[in-house]
Order: sequence, then structure tokens, then C-alpha cells
Amino acid sequence: MNRSKNPGLANRGLLLLLFLLAILSVCLFLIPAFVIRPFRHQSEVALGLAIAVKRIAPALTVVALAGVLALGAVLWRRTSWILRTGIGMALALSVASTVMVRQNYFEWMFHPMEAPGFVSAGEAHLGNKEMVMAVLIGRVARAYPIVQMGYHHILNDTVAAVPIVVTY
Amino acid sequence: MWKRTARGRELHFYLAGINNQNFLMRDRETGSWWQQVTGRAISGELAGSALELMPNDELTFALWKSESSNEHGHALVLAPVAGHEKDYDKEWEKEVAKYPVPLSFPGQGLQDRDVILGVELGGQARAFPLSKVRGQSPVEDKIAGVPVALVTGPDGESVRVFRSQWNGLDIELYRDAQSDGQSNGQSPEWRLLDAQGNTWNFAGCATSGPAAGECLEKINFLKDYWFDWKNYNPRTTVYNH
Repeated sequence: MNRSKNPGLANRGLLLLLFLLAILSVCLFLIPAFVIRPFRHQSEVALGLAIAVKRIAPALTVVALAGVLALGAVLWRRTSWILRTGIGMALALSVASTVMVRQNYFEWMFHPMEAPGFVSAGEAHLGNKEMVMAVLIGRVARAYPIVQMGYHHILNDTVAAVPIVVTY
Repeated sequence: MWKRTARGRELHFYLAGINNQNFLMRDRETGSWWQQVTGRAISGELAGSALELMPNDELTFALWKSESSNEHGHALVLAPVAGHEKDYDKEWEKEVAKYPVPLSFPGQGLQDRDVILGVELGGQARAFPLSKVRGQSPVEDKIAGVPVALVTGPDGESVRVFRSQWNGLDIELYRDAQSDGQSNGQSPEWRLLDAQGNTWNFAGCATSGPAAGECLEKINFLKDYWFDWKNYNPRTTVYNH
């Protein structure tokens, strides 16, 4: 009797939950993205929060997306077209967040070097005044032009059997 | 530059974020988060681990080439990544200088983006403004009782830091006035002298005198912006002579 009397209330509760899950999903992407903005100050607390969120986001966005899908399916037939539009948008945002938390957008910006190539000192097209980062291990010398490292920022390399990471 | 091993594991790093204009990286093996400038893991399975510093030099290409062709068989240079040649911006340091700073540390006489050479010895950190080191080379100082010399090389650009101690004795290095007139790039005459009658080259090795054949101990340093150095070394002093 209650069910037939208050279907609207139950629907409203489910709808609210659906939107909350979608908002959670978006926050899982936006909080770290907002905290770790380039050129801004990151406080220790904010950075800790951002990293914690990044660590749980891949799993949690999937859970939220599953929830949005399930609730959307239940509610679809019972709601007006306006609310269906809302459900559709919530679903789209949840999907977008689930995809985005799996992207490393810093690598979009800075282009990692996956398979570095090397040339001999004589073949390198470098000006005499150009700066290089230089390592010498045993009798093996390597030079990493700073203009290149300043662009790519990180290089995993192995010099004379020693694994090193060149950073700039 | 770091050795990429921690707790006996070889790691592969990638860029994962920015902390006050300093990179955060993660390793593919555990997903732990590392601060690039300190080499320390700040979050994840390896949190608390520290990478071992890989000693390295920042040299002009000409100087590196001359040093490594004299002594070594295998000298290789990182090649440009195909497709990115046009992205390598030689003026990028000037561009970065225009960026806002995320932190500001006034009061020690330096601007936030002043480039400093940071030396840390015996728990004491000191910042040497690069402009001063270039102007006064060699700069002699003592950090935690250790005598150090910051030296600009024959190219006027490359810098090295040495422990100015030989045979248990503190030595004072000074420029050879005779070679000063010929600072046209790579003057072979470039050398430092000391009161013991030694001459030293930019590799820190004695080329003549009682120390001939011996080399000074190199000291690691970090070339950094003042605000970044101060952020990670809050108790740093500033060389001010």
C-alpha cells in the first residue's frame, strides 16, 4: 500500500543517489586535477589528498559508474523526459570521469621518451655552448642535452649496466 | 639524476604530476609517488624509500666532448626524439623565468627565481647564487667545517664543486692570472693554482706539482631556483661574500 502510495518518494531517493554517484565520480577526477595544477602552490595537505584520491579513483569510478547504470536502468521507465536527460548527463559524466582517471595527462603535455636513441659525440648536432647533463660510469660517458631534457623531463636509461633516471 | 633502484628492485619512472613546480614521478613497478628533486617516495608501497643520487655534471657540449674524448672510449649523446626537434626550445629557461612562482621566500636577499647552486654537507645547506659563482670563481667557503671550492670552468659556463682538501690539508685555490687573458672558450692554459705549488684542471686533478696525478673530491650540488631550494632546505643559509 505504501509502495503504491509513495512511488514518487522512492524514485526521488534513487534519483538523488544516482546524481550523488555521478558527482562523486566527477570529484574523483577533478580534485587531483585541481590540486595538481601547474604553476600553482600545492600545500602538503592538499597534495596528500590529491594523491590519496588518485589512488582510489580507478576502482571507485567503476563502482560509481556501475551504480549510475543500475539506478538509471531502474528509473528510466518511471521518469519524465527531463529527468531522463538528467540521467543521461549523469551517465556521460560518470563515463568521462572513469576514462579520465585512467589517463596520465601529464604525459600528454610532456611526451615521454620510450626508446631513446644515442649518437656518438662527433655525430651530435649540438652547438659548443649548449649545456648537457653528463654522467661518467667507469669509462662510459653519456651526455643528455638540457634543451631535450627540459622538454621530456624524464629518461630511464642504463649506463654501464647501472640503471639511472635522468630528470630535469 | 638518480639510480633507479629501491629496495633491490629496478624501477622505471614516468611523469605523474607537479608539486610546486617540481615534478612528481611514479614508478611502473609499484605505482609509488616520488618527488623528483629529493628522490624520495612520498606515497605508495615504497613511501619512505630514497633513491641514490647519480653524480653528474652540467657542462657545455664542447667541454664535455673534450673531456670525454681524452679519457674514454664510449661517449654517446642522447639523440633528439624524431618529431620533437622543433619542440626543443633553446630559450625555454627565459620563458620559465616569466612564470609565476608558487612559493615565495623573501628576506635572504634573493629573488624567488634567482638560480642558485645548492650544496648540502653534514646536514647544513647553503645556496650560492650562480651569478656570484660566475663572477668570483673560484668561490671558497666552508660548510659544516668542510672547505669547498665552486669553480667555473674554462668555458665560463660549466660549474663544478670540489672539496678543497689535499693530503689532509685545506688548500686555497686561485685562478692563474696568466691564463685569465685567454678565456676564449677552451683555452688549454686554463688552470687553478694553490699555495702548495700545484696546478689543477677543471676535472679537479693536479696536472703538476706535488699532487700531480691526484684529484680533488667532487661534491654534488643542485642547480635550482631559490624558492625551490629553500622549500626543500628551509634552514639553508646563503653565501653572501
